[in-house]
Amino acid sequence: MNSSADSLILGHFLLTSSVLFVLGLVGFLMRRNLIIMFLCTELMFQGVVLALVAFARFHHNDTGQTFVIFVLTIAAAEAALALALVMLLYRRKPTLDTSAWSQMKG
Amino acid sequence: MMPYGLYIASVLAALALYMTAPRRGYSPARLGMLLGAMTLGGLWIALAKHLPDLAGQWTPLVYYYLFSVIAIGSAVRVITHRRPVLSALWFVLVVLATAGLFVVLSATFVAFAMVIIYAGAIVVTYVFVIMLASPAAPDAVGDDSPTYDRAAREPAAAIAVGFLMLAVLLTVAFEPLVANPRAAGPSDQRVLSRDLTQRPPELTPEGPPEVGKQAASVDNIERVGLDLFRGHPLGLELAGVILTVSLIGAVVLVRRPIAPEAAESPRDTDVRDE
Repeated sequence: MNSSADSLILGHFLLTSSVLFVLGLVGFLMRRNLIIMFLCTELMFQGVVLALVAFARFHHNDTGQTFVIFVLTIAAAEAALALALVMLLYRRKPTLDTSAWSQMKG
Repeated sequence: MMPYGLYIASVLAALALYMTAPRRGYSPARLGMLLGAMTLGGLWIALAKHLPDLAGQWTPLVYYYLFSVIAIGSAVRVITHRRPVLSALWFVLVVLATAGLFVVLSATFVAFAMVIIYAGAIVVTYVFVIMLASPAAPDAVGDDSPTYDRAAREPAAAIAVGFLMLAVLLTVAFEPLVANPRAAGPSDQRVLSRDLTQRPPELTPEGPPEVGKQAASVDNIERVGLDLFRGHPLGLELAGVILTVSLIGAVVLVRRPIAPEAAESPRDTDVRDE
């Protein structure tokens, strides 16, 4: 199998995955809505997961796909806890703006 | 391999995203999307010149382009849309396109798991919370969404940081990589045939599998299952513990009573003044 061709195809998938990750990062820094910020972390998870599967294919090693299942677990746990925290904050102050909570700055 | 092209593409994509970012007043969002699409297309065309002859196997690459365009375009809409519910729905499209990319990479089990768990469970939770926690918008069609959804916070700095990182990542991604022989998992031919022949007989009612069953003939789900349960039993247990802890934690957090004096908001003070 042509190794450089494989590497270039892998590079294409890594391109998509890093663009997804960076879009999630930019969204996390840029948006002011708490829920959208957590949605952007899920976007970063998508990029990471795509890189894992692409490397698993490139190395013919299934552990990358197994790791995706663990990432899914952590994403589900994170979504549950983060959204519970958002609900808690929203009941104290009916806004989702992060700057409304700026008094938590150290 | 042509890192300058990657840098130029990163800068152009950063400009495109800056135009698309939500802000007050006039925002050239359509122009930004056009510039972003042209950047991505130009980068792909420049990279396609280096692709070797694929001997007629163009179909996976075509699907790669298709699903990548959908994923990246929807991701841009997720981070720039002004209405949170629609952001969550665009995120579903990102998940579906990523699952399509997984099928292209012949990781079918993970693809279906992503669709079921992400699009089916996690995003539904997000949509629930968005609907519960959105400020009352009597007419959500017009541009009366809250200010914090209409204007981005420090978009220039965020985009500069993000796309600096993208340039670095792309430079690494297009380094010619050689598959590390030690990274090629032992879950190939040898271990797989060992795992298959060592199954308890009550699990294989169709009789003992033929020794030396080809690794290629084993399903993707079978390979992932073997790798998960043979290779990572401790991780599996820990994942269960984490899920349980987060379940209990979410219930405890939401059930906590809120002290009434803590509820300070402009709306509440107005009520108190009256």
